[in-house]
Amino acid sequence: MSINLDQAQQTFIVEARELLQAMEQSLLQLENEPDDQDAIGAIFRAAHTIKGSAGLFGLAPIVGFTHIVEDVLDRLRDGDIAVDADLIALLLKCGDHMLELIDVVASRGEALTPAALQRGEALREALGVYHPLHATTADAVTAKAADGESAEVLWHISLRFGADVYRNGMDPLSFLRYLQTLGQMVQVDTLTDSIPALENFDPESCYLGFEIDLRSTASHATLNEVFDFVRDECEVQITAVDEAPINPASTGTELVTQAEPTHRSTAPQRVATASEAKPRDGNYVRVNADKLDELINLVGELVIASAGASLLARSCNHDPLHEATSTVSGLVEEILDGALHLRMIPIGDTFNRFRRVVRDVSQELGKDIDLLISGAETELDKTVVEKIGDPLMHLLRNAMDHGIESAEARRAAGKSSKGHLSLNAYHDSGSIVIEIADDGAGLNRERILEKAQERGLVASGAVLSDQEIYNLIFEAGFSTAEAVTNLSGRGVGMDVVKRNITLLRGTVDLDSRPGQGTVVRIRLPLTLAIINGFLVGIDQATYVIPLDMVQECIELDEPQRDSSREQGYLDLRGEVLPLVHLRDHFNHEGPAARRQNVVVVRYAEHKAGLVVDDLLGEFQTVIKPLGKLFGALRGISGSTILGSGAVALILDVPALLNQLVQMEARTAQAPQSPLVVAR
Amino acid sequence: MGAVMTTRQAAVAVDEDAQYLTFMLGGEMFAIGILGIKEIIEYGSLTVVPMMPAFVRGVINLRGAVVPVVDLSARFGRANSQITRRSCVIIIEASTEDGLPQDIGLLVDTVSAVQEIPAAQIEPPPSFGARIRADFISGMAKVEGKFVIVLEVDKVLSIDEMSSLAEAGQAPALDFDPR
Repeated sequence: MSINLDQAQQTFIVEARELLQAMEQSLLQLENEPDDQDAIGAIFRAAHTIKGSAGLFGLAPIVGFTHIVEDVLDRLRDGDIAVDADLIALLLKCGDHMLELIDVVASRGEALTPAALQRGEALREALGVYHPLHATTADAVTAKAADGESAEVLWHISLRFGADVYRNGMDPLSFLRYLQTLGQMVQVDTLTDSIPALENFDPESCYLGFEIDLRSTASHATLNEVFDFVRDECEVQITAVDEAPINPASTGTELVTQAEPTHRSTAPQRVATASEAKPRDGNYVRVNADKLDELINLVGELVIASAGASLLARSCNHDPLHEATSTVSGLVEEILDGALHLRMIPIGDTFNRFRRVVRDVSQELGKDIDLLISGAETELDKTVVEKIGDPLMHLLRNAMDHGIESAEARRAAGKSSKGHLSLNAYHDSGSIVIEIADDGAGLNRERILEKAQERGLVASGAVLSDQEIYNLIFEAGFSTAEAVTNLSGRGVGMDVVKRNITLLRGTVDLDSRPGQGTVVRIRLPLTLAIINGFLVGIDQATYVIPLDMVQECIELDEPQRDSSREQGYLDLRGEVLPLVHLRDHFNHEGPAARRQNVVVVRYAEHKAGLVVDDLLGEFQTVIKPLGKLFGALRGISGSTILGSGAVALILDVPALLNQLVQMEARTAQAPQSPLVVAR
Repeated sequence: MGAVMTTRQAAVAVDEDAQYLTFMLGGEMFAIGILGIKEIIEYGSLTVVPMMPAFVRGVINLRGAVVPVVDLSARFGRANSQITRRSCVIIIEASTEDGLPQDIGLLVDTVSAVQEIPAAQIEPPPSFGARIRADFISGMAKVEGKFVIVLEVDKVLSIDEMSSLAEAGQAPALDFDPR
């Protein structure tokens, strides 16, 4: 049982986090449309479900706090209090505190830190302002039973659990434990009448009933809610006992005469909301991400194995066999697509998290900023979605802090005083583009250039395009903010953003128009596990060049070869194409092959020709990391296994080009601007 | 690349008389504790990784996993091993500083035997004279009247040390200064 409960608690934690996320969304929506009854309902349900589930696990701190929040939400739902900015801000903070409670108390089983407790206390006090005086709004039963708000009532609860409660994952004991948090248990009688003879006894069935006397200030409805989760299969009766006369010893008879004395007093809509709160996502299956990764790994193996089989089949000259293997390959490819798709999740959840960030930061900065989100349904690999959050957050904060001007400055510039920030995601030729656009002042071209020269990032005489200048802000140790605010301006941010994106095999670039705003475009691969590769051969070795960087392939004929070797570049239709002799670069011994080819690769604004021996065609490449031993290796990003079983290395074109640029800059004694080489 | 021998089952921890795998390298006999060894395979096709120090021979495909192969002879600062018909790769699970195990292949000339060596027959390493870095040696075992060098696998296959060597090996090319 305890193991099952642990699992159930894990589920609770995951669900509670999701519910809090949903609650935050609804709160933000409510801020825009204060009359949105659906949003209020959703917030209430979220808090209510968390409280109920937390009670099942005996997590008193969560229950206690959430209960207070729920009371306020209840009043909000009934229209007793109105939605205003203060209330929303307060409820958002309450959501944060609940999340902290769940993280600390439920997941780690620790007690809160004193600071957090203090925060919780402050929130309780703040919530108290909205709190009803119990006497005025409490449910009818409470009002009838007790006059004062704090008067304790002796409740008698007759409880008969259904036979299936254990099978449904409920533990009767947890209900009793929860009841204990609501008041003082005066007496509990366990009824064992229905336990059958031993031979008929089913250890998985529940035969127990309880008669409980509880002294509590809680209302009838609150007590009733405790049993929301088992209402379908249990019989529950809750009655207020007049202290003196009734003799609690007459428990046995009550079972027989269980009519419907007080059940009607339960507000019907309350039961309705409770059932609504049950998970609505019946169409989804929750799968552990590790299992998915394992599956995708296996599919990767399958791709390799099927490539090997086709290779063999082709060499056999047996047509039916060839046909069969090509059918298999086709299916394997479909399975691969399907498996990769399983890992894809919409970027929307990440985007929506930023609504709160934008709201908080804009208040902190005293700017009025609106966040527009589009393309939220665009799907990306789970790992990418998880890792892109921080860079995006940084870019957004930067845009809010430096990009969008203060309201006065905006009015002076003839713009609306409300700043706009937009987040957009879309597919573009095999990759995903995420755009962060603001309608602020734009980047100051001169200041960036000045700063870059001051920092020695650009030689003083260099001529740079606007694009290049703007992208300088992604260089390490670059910040133009004159005042360091606590949000940004320390100059540690943008290069980290760029590095994180590069780690995801993505690129970032930036466009800006003075006075009209800035757009940052992040381009990310659809998946991290598999790329389309282009195979090339040098000697016996095979290398993979990511296909999206390959522009064209040309043959290097004899006369060209000699001249290009001397010059180090090639005339490509009137354009200068710097050449990289991979054979020399990778120290392959032996004489050059009779025929050589040039693969023209392009990365951002760099273009180069890689000289190789053979062109071996396209290949679906399953990326295998090379491990820590090769951590220092530049120019090679990983490896893959070919159909033949041999290992091929994957070229890291951006790093390779950068490495060459650096080497060149060092060999040529006076370093020119390192940024404008090899264009 | 058929598995010549799978030693995992034989890996029973005996405190006193531990089992060792003995192998030949450049005419000398060495031994390593059997516990870290996953399997031994014949030397097959190997992919050379460019721009790595000489002791990193390359990578092999071990049933779908890409495993680096270290040339033990070169790791000791000698010449690269000559590949013969009897060359073997011993797959060892090496530990890294961050605690994630990584498989590494060890290229040796021939694998000899698995044998029990009583702890009493293992002498402490000499402080010099073995022509191998002293910290690579965990002891000198006496087997059939001859000394066998028992290697300290964690030191020999320290990924952190090897990768920093690889980094240092790359640096001269990058920091090439013509002046």
